[in-house]
Amino acid sequence: MSVNKYTAPAMAKEKEMRALSIIPVSDENKVKEALKHLKHLVRKFRPLMLAMESCTKCGHCAENCHTYLGTRDSNNIPTNRADLFRKAWKATHTLEGRVFGKLVGAEPLTLDTINKMYAYFYQCNECRRCALVCPFGIDTCEVTFAGRQLLHWLGMVPSLHASVGEAMYRTGNHTGLPKPGLVDTCEFLEEEILEESGVDIKIPIDKPDSDVLYIPSSADFLLNPETMMGAARFFHYLGINWTMSSAIAEAGNFGLLFDQRYTLRFNTMRLLDEVIKLNIKKVVWGECGHGWRAGKMYVPSMTDRPVPVPIVHLHDETAHYIRTGQLKLHPEVNNKPITLHDPCNFSRACNLGAKLREVLNPCVTDFREMTPNHERNFCCGGGSAILFDDPGMYDLRIKFSAKKAEQIRATGIGENGDGYLVAPCSICKAQFYPILEEHDLGVQVKGLIDLVGNALYPPINI
Amino acid sequence: MTFFILQVLPYIAVMIFIVGMVWRLCRWLKTRNVHNVVLTPTPKTSCGVAVRYVKEIFLFRSLFNGDKSLWAGAWIMHVTLAGIIGGHIVGFAFLGQQFIYMGVSADTSVFLSKLLGTTFGVILAVALLYLLYRRLSINEAKLTSYFADYMHLILLLGIVSAGNFMRLVPGYSVGFEVPKIYMIQLATFQPVTIDPLMNTAFIIHLLLVQILLIIFPFSKLVHLVGIFVNRLTVDRSYVEPAPGMPVANAGVSVGNAASSGKKTT
Repeated sequence: MSVNKYTAPAMAKEKEMRALSIIPVSDENKVKEALKHLKHLVRKFRPLMLAMESCTKCGHCAENCHTYLGTRDSNNIPTNRADLFRKAWKATHTLEGRVFGKLVGAEPLTLDTINKMYAYFYQCNECRRCALVCPFGIDTCEVTFAGRQLLHWLGMVPSLHASVGEAMYRTGNHTGLPKPGLVDTCEFLEEEILEESGVDIKIPIDKPDSDVLYIPSSADFLLNPETMMGAARFFHYLGINWTMSSAIAEAGNFGLLFDQRYTLRFNTMRLLDEVIKLNIKKVVWGECGHGWRAGKMYVPSMTDRPVPVPIVHLHDETAHYIRTGQLKLHPEVNNKPITLHDPCNFSRACNLGAKLREVLNPCVTDFREMTPNHERNFCCGGGSAILFDDPGMYDLRIKFSAKKAEQIRATGIGENGDGYLVAPCSICKAQFYPILEEHDLGVQVKGLIDLVGNALYPPINI
Repeated sequence: MTFFILQVLPYIAVMIFIVGMVWRLCRWLKTRNVHNVVLTPTPKTSCGVAVRYVKEIFLFRSLFNGDKSLWAGAWIMHVTLAGIIGGHIVGFAFLGQQFIYMGVSADTSVFLSKLLGTTFGVILAVALLYLLYRRLSINEAKLTSYFADYMHLILLLGIVSAGNFMRLVPGYSVGFEVPKIYMIQLATFQPVTIDPLMNTAFIIHLLLVQILLIIFPFSKLVHLVGIFVNRLTVDRSYVEPAPGMPVANAGVSVGNAASSGKKTT
């Protein structure tokens, strides 16, 4: 393995890559292989081709990218990040690049550039704010997707992503929990709910002949138990015949983040198999940003069979039941000052921005919007699971979230140290747990369904 | 040399432009929209998408929402440029008498034609200078610019300056008739009868335009077509599946699976 002079996450070892059925390419062959993949990818994907050939380098994306705002590193300007790819494309596949070279921004691919790609494509949160502000709609997220795909084929994947991918193959969830672990956790959470709200609510796993398959983020079993309990309360309240599946107890799909071929498809097919096995009528996705993007936008284009049932998001449903007046909510139990962080994938890729507010408003008493919001919101800084703990990368996570901290501070919710930041996305939550402390904001992270659950079944001991 | 610029190069330049653009467009259209990468919130109907599309392409909506000064520079630059190109076609074809059809006299029409052309020309030059100044002065624009990005602006400035020079400096105007005859001769493959030494500004203007046409398909200037293709990728309608979950003892309807998005692979 080459030593990377750029700040980059720890890379998966050969053994870890082999677990993903990839044999890492040796340094001598990397450039040759990369050029082959580059050609294949750019010729296939239209958004990528247009990012390569129709950017005017106006620089409008710079001030709109929180990674650039946080680091002022010119490689983190979206169009310059795309240049890591574009330079090589121009040098090998365009007339102007071959004739004028550097004058038009063409540069032959080198091993150094590949190392630089590994560093900077894993410093991109894939939040698509650059696509939103680009006058042409050029989506640098697509370039990052392609870049990470190419790196995956070269065997260059962060240890974090590779181990999550491997856990998913093995167990059907990212945390690597086997079925007994899931069942135990659910029983424990059932007791918690009974204790907190005095209601006996079941959290079923693999219950045959269920109507609704709930796809939780596996982090909700361990890190965000309140989100799991909130969802259980919601389904119980409506009398839904629901279950989760031990084979796909995972809303996330890291295939979207590092391998949009086999890994993305494998997880997708796993879901469809389970739908048939449990005789499901509707799939409801839990609070996970990139996972919902994969579920909503990539399932239709990745599956090898027609999708047999509708797939919707939990908050499509909560919004619907609130709109039709079927939920009796007690907003007074959520009386802390609250702001909402729009997960990038929800607001810019999945059309959920307005619905999140439809759900949040009737559940709380003191809701304050942060600015900008909805689809103009800034990313938490952990997007696309760059939740690395390596010292250099952790430092970058703090810098990437600087803009977010500024937004939260401006709402004033943390002034008394008891504010709630609602972030209905597992990666956002995982980023915020440590990062809110780092910025000393006096704010706690909550999921959205947590608050709905509380408002449906008010705690008995308050 | 002037013979080459006046009689030979125009054919080469136009051929390269047309063939180059067709080749570029084919290269783009051979790629696919594999996944649905729509930017939300998105319009629900095709009509809504059409409105969004027009706003993005003709009003630069995204730029307007983000950076007003860049929007002003870019929008004014593009609109005046389009106006001038249109003015060249109409003005020379009708010899400046196009406004007669709006009910004014022939003299007024020529006056209006010249006034509009000159005004647009000056505004365009100012807008281009602003864009160049922006690239040279704003740090982020400097960090993203290559040599070619400055040169494109300078080339356009050269064309516009030569044009404005002919408009504004007495004695250098070519009038309406000379270019019209020249264009007709070119288009009908006749030897051109224009006096090669008559007007250096005209020759420079013409030469720079031909250089622009030649580099156009091989530079970022293809964003002219790119915006139409790319906007079709990210601005699309999306119909949400019906909400409502099946309840064991009640008849809440379940949405239709087929409505949740087309298969695109």
